[in-house]
Amino acid sequence: MHSVMVDGLQMAYLVPVKAEGLRAAFRSLWHRAYKRVEAVRSVSFSVAPGEVVGFIGPNGAGKTTTLKILSGVLHPTAGRVEVVGHTPWERRPAYLRQIAMIRGSRPLAAPVELTVQDALRFQQLIYEVPEAQFRRTLGLLVEMLHLEPLLQRQIRALSLGEKMRAGLAWSLVYQPRVLFLDEPTLGLDVTAAQLMRRFVGTYSRETGATVLLTSHYMADVESLCRRILLIDKGHMTYDGDLAGLSARMAPFKLLKVAGGDPGLDWSRFGDVVEQEGGRVSLRVRREAVPAVTARLLAEVASIADLTVTEPPLESVIDQVYREGV
Amino acid sequence: MRLLGGYVRRYFLQWLAWRSFALTLVANQAVTPLVGLAVWSTVLPERRLSDYFIALLFVRLLTSSYENHTFSEWVYQGGFCDDLLLPHPPVLVTLGENIAIRIWHIIIGLPIVAAVVLFAPPSLRWQDVALALPAVVLAAAIRFLFTYALALSAFWIERAHSVVGLGSTLIFLLGGEAAPIALLPDAVRPWAEALPFRAMLGFPAEIAAGELNGAAVGMGYLWQVIWLAVMVVAAQAVWRAGIRRYTVVGG
Repeated sequence: MHSVMVDGLQMAYLVPVKAEGLRAAFRSLWHRAYKRVEAVRSVSFSVAPGEVVGFIGPNGAGKTTTLKILSGVLHPTAGRVEVVGHTPWERRPAYLRQIAMIRGSRPLAAPVELTVQDALRFQQLIYEVPEAQFRRTLGLLVEMLHLEPLLQRQIRALSLGEKMRAGLAWSLVYQPRVLFLDEPTLGLDVTAAQLMRRFVGTYSRETGATVLLTSHYMADVESLCRRILLIDKGHMTYDGDLAGLSARMAPFKLLKVAGGDPGLDWSRFGDVVEQEGGRVSLRVRREAVPAVTARLLAEVASIADLTVTEPPLESVIDQVYREGV
Repeated sequence: MRLLGGYVRRYFLQWLAWRSFALTLVANQAVTPLVGLAVWSTVLPERRLSDYFIALLFVRLLTSSYENHTFSEWVYQGGFCDDLLLPHPPVLVTLGENIAIRIWHIIIGLPIVAAVVLFAPPSLRWQDVALALPAVVLAAAIRFLFTYALALSAFWIERAHSVVGLGSTLIFLLGGEAAPIALLPDAVRPWAEALPFRAMLGFPAEIAAGELNGAAVGMGYLWQVIWLAVMVVAAQAVWRAGIRRYTVVGG
C-alpha cells in the first residue's frame, strides 16, 4: 500500500541554443538548434500513507521538476507515477482535490486584493467543502497557525511569514491527503520556520497526510523527516533514514581543536574542514580518531581544548552534494 | 455556474482595486466608435449612422476581451502553474475575469453612453434592441473564444500581445468599426459579412440600429452560430496543443 509510487521517472527538455553573433542569430531563424537537458534521469521510490519524506539534493538536481510531475503540472518523458491511485498529469478533479502544492517562493497563490477570510471562502467554493467541515477545519487551522488577527487583512499587506501561515491554511482548508512542500521555509525567520515545521508535523500526524518536502534547510529535514530521498543530477542516490546516511559517511568524525601554533600544518592530522582564529575543525576517519587525538596531544603542545563530535548534518549533506554518496 | 459566479465575484473585487486601469480601458474602447460617429455623421449625414455607432459603442463595451493582458500575462509570470492545480477546467478562471471586466466596462461606460445619447439622441426602436440582445451575447462569446485562442499563443511565443493585437486590427477593419459593413466596397463586403469579425461586433449593432431586414437578421444569426462552433473547436484544439507543450517543456 503506497500513497506515492514513482517508477523509472525521466524528464528531458529540448532547449533552443545558438552560437554568438549576428550571423548565428540569422542562421537560427531557419536552422534552430536544440540541446537536450535531462532534468530527471532515473527516479524510483514509493511513499507510504502518512509518511513525511525529505526530498533533498543540490540546486538543479531535479527536485522541483519531480514535484511538478507528481502534482500534475508536468508530463514526464518516461516512467510511471501513481499518487493516491491517480496518474497526476491526467489532472482529474478527483485527484487535484486530494493534493496541495505549497511553494516557499509563492506561499499564497490567492489574489492579493482579497482578505485572508475571502480567500479561504473562495477555496471552500472551488474545492466544494461542506460548510460544517469548512468551519471545523478553519477553526483548527486558525488556532494552530495563530491566524485570527490575519483573517480580515488584505493578502497584499501580509509579511512573508504571515503569507506562509495564511498559505498553509489556504492549501489545507480542503484537507488534502498529499502535500508537496517545495522549500516551504524559504526566507522565513527562525520563529516562523519553527512554527511551519511544528504545524506540518502535527498536521501529518493528526490527518494521516503524506508529505513530500524539498528544502535546502537541514533543520526542516531533521525535524520533520525520518526518511530522506537524495537526488543528484536527476538520479536517486540515497533512500533511507538520516542516521543511515550519517553512517554511510561514518568513517568521519570532527575533531575540534582550540589553540596550537598559527602556522601549524593541520592537514597532517586530517582534512581541514574549517579554520578560524585559533580554532580548527578536522575531519578524521572514525577508526583513526584515537590515534590522531593522541598525536595531537603529543605533538601540539599549546592545545587549549579538544572535542570529538559527529559531523553536523549540514556538512554531511554538503559532502554528499560535492562527492556523492 | 456557481463556480463561474465565484470567479466573476472574485475578479470583480480584484478589478475594484484596479479601477483606474479599467477607466483607461473603457476610454480606449469608446474612442473608435465615437470617432466613427463623428466622421461618418459628417461624411454621410443622410444615412443617420449615429444610431449604428451608439449601438456599436454599447456592443464594444460588452464584448471587449483582454486575454492577452490576463491569461497570457499569467502564463509569462508563472502563475498559470497554480491554475493547473485547480480541480476544474482552468478556462473558468479566464472566463470569470472576462465577465468581471465586462461588468466594469458597463459600470464605467454607462455615463459615456448617456453623454453620447444626450449629445446625439438616437432613434432606436425597442423591438430592434431586444432582437439584438441574443446577438450581443453570441458576439461576446465568439470574441472571448477568438481572443482566448490567440492569447494561448503565450505557450509558444513571448509576444502574445502582438498576436492578439493583429486579431483586434482585423476586427476593427472587417468587423464594422472602421466603417459599417454596408459601406465597404462591393469586393470586400460579402467577405466581411461571412467572416467572424462582423459576428463579434458589427452584426448586433446593425440589428439594434434597425438596418437589417428579417432575412439578413436570420443569416447573421446563422453565421454567429457557425462561428461560435468554429471558435469552440479552434480554442479547444489550440488549448490541447498548448497545454501539451507547456507540460512537456515546463512552462
